[in-house]
Amino acid sequence: MSDFSRIMAFTRRFRNERLFSTRMYIMLPILVLFLPGMAWGFSDPNIVLPGGHQPANAMEVLFYASLGVVFGATMCAVLLSYDSVSRERASGVLELRLSQPMPRSHQAIAMIFGSWQAILIPTWFLMLISILLVRYRMGDWPSSADAFVYFISTAFILLWYVLFTVLASSYTREQGTAISFGVGLWFLFTFLWALVTTMVAYASGVSIGQENDATWVMLEGGLDLLSPNGVYHHLLETRLPQIDRGIAVWQSWGMALIWTVLPTWLFIRRMERILP
Amino acid sequence: MGEVVLRLKDATYRHYVHAPSTFKPWRRILGQGIFSANLELKKGSILGLVGPNGAGKTTLLRMMAGILPLQDGSARSSLGESVSTLTDTELRQKVGHMPEQVRWQGKKTVRNALMEIAEMRASSESRVDGLLKLVGLQSRVDSRLSELSQGMRQRLTLAAALLGSPKILLLDEPLNGLDPVAAAAFVLLLRKLTEKGVSIVISSHQVEGLVEIIDRLALMHRGQILAEGTMDEVAQQLNLNKKTEISGIGTAPDMNTFIEDEESVKIEQFSEHWQVLLEKSRIGLLQEMVNAGIEITSWIERPPNVIEMLCAATGQSVEDVGLEVTSTSVMPLRTFRGEEE
Repeated sequence: MSDFSRIMAFTRRFRNERLFSTRMYIMLPILVLFLPGMAWGFSDPNIVLPGGHQPANAMEVLFYASLGVVFGATMCAVLLSYDSVSRERASGVLELRLSQPMPRSHQAIAMIFGSWQAILIPTWFLMLISILLVRYRMGDWPSSADAFVYFISTAFILLWYVLFTVLASSYTREQGTAISFGVGLWFLFTFLWALVTTMVAYASGVSIGQENDATWVMLEGGLDLLSPNGVYHHLLETRLPQIDRGIAVWQSWGMALIWTVLPTWLFIRRMERILP
Repeated sequence: MGEVVLRLKDATYRHYVHAPSTFKPWRRILGQGIFSANLELKKGSILGLVGPNGAGKTTLLRMMAGILPLQDGSARSSLGESVSTLTDTELRQKVGHMPEQVRWQGKKTVRNALMEIAEMRASSESRVDGLLKLVGLQSRVDSRLSELSQGMRQRLTLAAALLGSPKILLLDEPLNGLDPVAAAAFVLLLRKLTEKGVSIVISSHQVEGLVEIIDRLALMHRGQILAEGTMDEVAQQLNLNKKTEISGIGTAPDMNTFIEDEESVKIEQFSEHWQVLLEKSRIGLLQEMVNAGIEITSWIERPPNVIEMLCAATGQSVEDVGLEVTSTSVMPLRTFRGEEE
């Protein structure tokens, strides 16, 4: 068995354990409400958003419906992976795993892939249904490039939350702390980031919340690169030419790469040194 | 049995412990651990690790299993003339490790849980099935982990340790939770494994029951190996002699007539018989007692047991220690002060 196939086999076991877990059955209705539910709502031909705005095409609807990913899927990612390491550590199974000849870095990669795939598979499936719903209600398909960015950027944001959570799980000896860390981080980036942006704007003397003020828009766009949710929206905005927040396409994808590589490296390094 | 499969030379590992100070709340210092352990494990032998709670037995096993990296010293193996230093990965390939009390849980089946570990060791499905049969879990292969009793979990952990046909088997408290019959079968299994050339290290508080199968014994206390060798060698290192147990009918004899050192004699008088325990016997004593008309029913020379050896090595005594874990005793071990990271 090659290293690659061993990682894949371990990934498959890790994924299936979570994919068919009780908590997934609990979260699935929530995901259905958040993903296809939002796509259904935003694709209503008669919808009028605050400010009198109406979504003009399928990609714009998917952009608005991505709120479901930010609020629902990321939380599910946290709840699915918070005990990836801590539970095994508490039960002693981790000690057994660490005593196997399979390199720890490979085990870490398999844990990441397994937890990630467990949330990615249902999310992508529901996103596919969302696209079909948009087509049904609006009569418009997103272009293949739009769909590609939509799926890939969603995969990215879920991976980031999985990475934060497994990293927290590897540092904590009890599952309560691990879940608190994951949910806390989710709160920070989902709800509190606006507060951080406001504080920085206030300290910089920029008028707050003025959507017509280019300085505010630029500052908000820049600070969003430091938040996974912000980067996610920047990635989606690369397919919406009418939105310009002063961030180049390469900057968005570059930050996506950094948000991916840095926590992955940290987690692998952590697993290399972890004690049972 | 001459080939050394694992030799630890000055192997050291110390745990980091939190020692926060006012200005450095994150401060950690080097605390307890294993200090310069020297140990040899020969092919097909069984080594018993014995020590009080917190002696470092589990830490030493983890070092031997390649889970904890050696901070100093080396782990080597020799095959004929060639001696090679083993890396952590090489150690993990050679070693099957049975941690203490793995609490298997969840909806996974017994077979799936073992298959997961098997994939990490590149073991086949047939090997998994064979091991499940060997440890007596063939009727529970499709049971969920959460349905297993403590003894069954121990069996599953043992099966996991045997995956990949390891040359060295490290067992941390393997008898915990096993019923007496299973424990006896377990001992039998160990014997079979040693006949196949597997070397075994057992850390157990119930080592008294395993004394018959142990080839060598290592006594540990405060992270150090105090004595190591066969039972006789360890007894010799600790200056422990064989004791003589004499029993007879009627009234206990006056042993002062035969033994000068009163303190080395313990006499117990029961209703119809008596028992004398001599710390030191001497040649001709039996003849003298028989000539004196003393009716002796049994004369047993008993080698020192593990508890006596442990007490002699650590300076502890059963009466003094009681159940206290952190006994300071009179052990002249090296004291260590915390060193900053």
